[in-house]
Amino acid sequence: MELFRLDAAQVAGGIRNREFSAEEYIQQLLERIEKVEPKVNAFVTVGNKEALDKARIVDKKIRDGEPAGPLAGVAVSIKDNICVKGARTTCASKMLDSYIPPYDATVVRRLIEAGAIIIGKANLDEFAMGSTTEFSRDGPTRNPWDINRVPGGSSGGSAASVASLECAVSLGSDTGGSVRCPASFCSVVGLKPTYGSVSRYGLISYANSLEQVGPIGRTVADVAAVMNAIGGVDENDHTTIGPKPHYACDGRMDKPLRVGLVKQFVQGADPEVTKIIYSAFYTLARQDCKCDEVSLPSVEYALASYYTIAMAEASSNLARYDNIRYGFDMSPEGYEWNAYFAKARSNFGDEVKRRIIVGSYMLSSGYYGKYYLKAQQVRSILRNELKSLFKQHDVLIGPTMPILPFKIGEKVDDPLKMYLVDIDTVVANLAGTPAVSVPAGFAVNLPVGLQIMADEFQEQIMIDAACLFESAANMRRSPDL
Amino acid sequence: METKIGIEIHCQLTGAKSKLFCSCPCNYRGKTPNSNVCPTCSGLPGTLPLLNRKAVEFAGMISLALGCRIPEEIDFYRKNYFYPDLPKNFQITQYNAYGIRSIGVDGRLQYSGDKSARIRRVQVEEDPGRLVYETGSMETSTYSLIDYNRAGVPLVEIVTEPDFTDPKDVRIFLDKISSIVEHLGVCDTKLEGSVRCDANVSLGGGNRVEIKNVSSFADVEKALRYEITRQRTMAGRDIEIKSETRHWDDARKLTKESRTKEEEQDYRYFPEPDIPAVSLGSEFVSLVKRSMPELPDARKDRFISNYGLSSHVSQVLIDNKYLADFFETALKTYNSPSEIANWIVSDLMGFVDERQKGEGSLFAGLRIGPEHIAELAKLVDEGAINRPTAKQILGQIVQTGEMPSQAAKNMDASKIDDVGELARVIDSVFNSEPAAVQDAKRNPNAANFLLGKVMQATKGRADPNAALELVQKKLKEY
Amino acid sequence: MAVTREQVKHLGWLSRIELSDDELARYTSQIEEVVKYLDKLDTIPLQEVKPIGRKKKFSDLRDDVSIDFKGESIRTSNRKEGFVKGPRMV
Repeated sequence: MELFRLDAAQVAGGIRNREFSAEEYIQQLLERIEKVEPKVNAFVTVGNKEALDKARIVDKKIRDGEPAGPLAGVAVSIKDNICVKGARTTCASKMLDSYIPPYDATVVRRLIEAGAIIIGKANLDEFAMGSTTEFSRDGPTRNPWDINRVPGGSSGGSAASVASLECAVSLGSDTGGSVRCPASFCSVVGLKPTYGSVSRYGLISYANSLEQVGPIGRTVADVAAVMNAIGGVDENDHTTIGPKPHYACDGRMDKPLRVGLVKQFVQGADPEVTKIIYSAFYTLARQDCKCDEVSLPSVEYALASYYTIAMAEASSNLARYDNIRYGFDMSPEGYEWNAYFAKARSNFGDEVKRRIIVGSYMLSSGYYGKYYLKAQQVRSILRNELKSLFKQHDVLIGPTMPILPFKIGEKVDDPLKMYLVDIDTVVANLAGTPAVSVPAGFAVNLPVGLQIMADEFQEQIMIDAACLFESAANMRRSPDL
Repeated sequence: METKIGIEIHCQLTGAKSKLFCSCPCNYRGKTPNSNVCPTCSGLPGTLPLLNRKAVEFAGMISLALGCRIPEEIDFYRKNYFYPDLPKNFQITQYNAYGIRSIGVDGRLQYSGDKSARIRRVQVEEDPGRLVYETGSMETSTYSLIDYNRAGVPLVEIVTEPDFTDPKDVRIFLDKISSIVEHLGVCDTKLEGSVRCDANVSLGGGNRVEIKNVSSFADVEKALRYEITRQRTMAGRDIEIKSETRHWDDARKLTKESRTKEEEQDYRYFPEPDIPAVSLGSEFVSLVKRSMPELPDARKDRFISNYGLSSHVSQVLIDNKYLADFFETALKTYNSPSEIANWIVSDLMGFVDERQKGEGSLFAGLRIGPEHIAELAKLVDEGAINRPTAKQILGQIVQTGEMPSQAAKNMDASKIDDVGELARVIDSVFNSEPAAVQDAKRNPNAANFLLGKVMQATKGRADPNAALELVQKKLKEY
Repeated sequence: MAVTREQVKHLGWLSRIELSDDELARYTSQIEEVVKYLDKLDTIPLQEVKPIGRKKKFSDLRDDVSIDFKGESIRTSNRKEGFVKGPRMV
């Protein structure tokens, strides 16, 4: 049996019922990874030995009748900006070339407690800054559906590893769409939770008022299961709030879903994308949903607001990389400290350097009111607009991405063009509300994702809508690799 | 020419057990370099600041003690700059330019008679690590040595308005601040580096000069005097004072131009996203007031009104919280305020090693506690021993640690006022000092010599009054 | 808002990032384009909106308990008698 094709629920069930062992499963995955990686390049590091060791431990627990956790044996890849104790964590950057964290991120610890097995660290845009995973020191990750095209980003490695069946689920991070964008481009499910509902302790900061760790999987049920394992307040992160989640994907709904299609999102999208989104809209209408079109006017300012805040925060969050306490091999001998810092930090990639510079500009003397404060205002305005829409709607939908996955190299030298692809996803980060991307169809054999948004802490209703759509649309398939 | 001086005090919250944003021990002194750190205070990627509730409470106490207003909500800002002792290359601090968000504003502290200074603000922030140099000098070392043990220790910064005109007043003010934070139990000012002070001085409306790197409060006065003289001299020669930061050179006792251009910094302040705004609410002030120890001024007033102590004695007691506590503990055993206060202030202080005054508890080298003084006072009050004997006993017990009553027994120090025994001793003295007796008959004052001999013979145990009476009586008989 | 090469150079210094001439040339026009886009924010009138952001109750802050971290936080081998060896200061 090709165990690598199974989704997380099937793996957990199969191992629990002793239909196959965790060791068998992991072994198959490691072989799959070896076969597929030369084409996809989803991983920065693969932990063969550790994964097999953990698999054997799971098998022993199952044999001994000990509790092994709800995700026992399930293989997960972890985006390489999330700390795993004792494992290289590089953020796809030279600046953390030899960094090995002495602690686990809370989300990693919780996954391990749930029995999941970390199979490797997934590739990303350097420090999570990008939408294509082309800004990685370890080379770009390629879209499993067409290896000449981008898989999306910044969690491109996470989405590609799940889409290409190298693991069952993945943890990515979403600052402006970095979980949903690659999920859409790779035809998998990717969820960004309500801000503060999942711990950021151990997530290496890029823009801390915007980002959240988010799960990626091949089914909505898998993504919900990972959320249940990792979510909930953490004393190590004072921005967390909310109870431990118990999301279910069983499609039960007591009344018809009220769905709003956001005009501004469809208006900005390519025709092939729009066609599929309208088709999804009608699919939902046929499931007894109450559907209408809505307007979210402040979308116009969303990108400007997002990039102002993200770059400003990034310029400060990345200041700590001075290579003094950790980093890469470069002796301070002979240098005056300013020169050493400047030289060491010249090892950031282009995109990171650009964002740090713009971010410093945004915060610099005289510009704070013009950019940063205004950008924060936009967040409040967006939040208020969303709140009124959510009074009459359970969920708001639209395309996750305005375009189809494009060719590698196409936008890499044009930062602004690159930023514009985030137009549909940044709204949820700015407002702090949850959003999920589910596969909606294919245009010219390239994936299109449907984005479903809900009000803060309303993940269950969002997951209900996603489940409903997923079963109605019947879009689950895997690329030929 | 009008002198304007403002000061900024940084005070470590040594009373806290852990650092401001992580659980590392707050006390870093004496530890091997980089052994008092964790991922958070070393600025490791992915770590988040976890605000210490006690530190906020302590900062609230300081704010109230300085008459400040505490806002309903506070938050934190990032001050962004690069420096090798700053693990994150930003300091988490507080900032009021975009709204009043720090722990205290608009206070006033009276420090001497009618003189008072306005407190512009009180804020909470983290201490950086320490840079050390192999050759001892920053200029000559080919590399720096960095110790992060101190990084993250909680600090309270107190900023005054430029309300001072005389460096002497600044000194008095600083001593008062020391006394307050000691009494609040939030900062032990005797610990090295626990309080630091920067000063700003301008003359006749001219540019402001900031003086940094003054390591003790005594030096602040010296540095200010030097700087004022320097500015006066320059003004006298029609040279313009430029706005700058100068460092106090402790060895050469002068202020010199700073090598690092601090004034060119653009700190790019913005709110710290990892720390949500903290709602203190109106209950915070009542909570702090309830748990706040008595302030020195209030304690002094209480000593004067409740115990009838003099202002001078009360002042000595409250100048060092340890003395005031010692005094009140002794009172619990034996309630004789004046007697006990005097024993502490006049006699016990005489035994304190000068060196001890700088560190630890004042009476660390002495083996006695409040119970000893209480008993000593009691014995004297009851007439069981006389004062000179008591002083002798004190001298002994500070080394032996015995209770005074025990020491007295061993010395057989009980007062001799038994007339019979006294008479025998006096007879013996009269017999051995005939010349003195003749002197005394002619000159009554000379009787003191004989009295002295009697005291000597009784090893001080004789009751001087009774002895004198008997001596005089006997002289009449001669 | 025009962004000059001098400004980019200064911002590079402020951020302690050494920029080559080639980078300065390439980045300046790219950054200028981005900043021009961000100037969109100027078109929104300044209004009184309640800032979004959660509050933390004073009682929910961390307890003042000291714990020794078991593990190595400083990850460089550039050490001398426990100190971290850094570049010279002048």
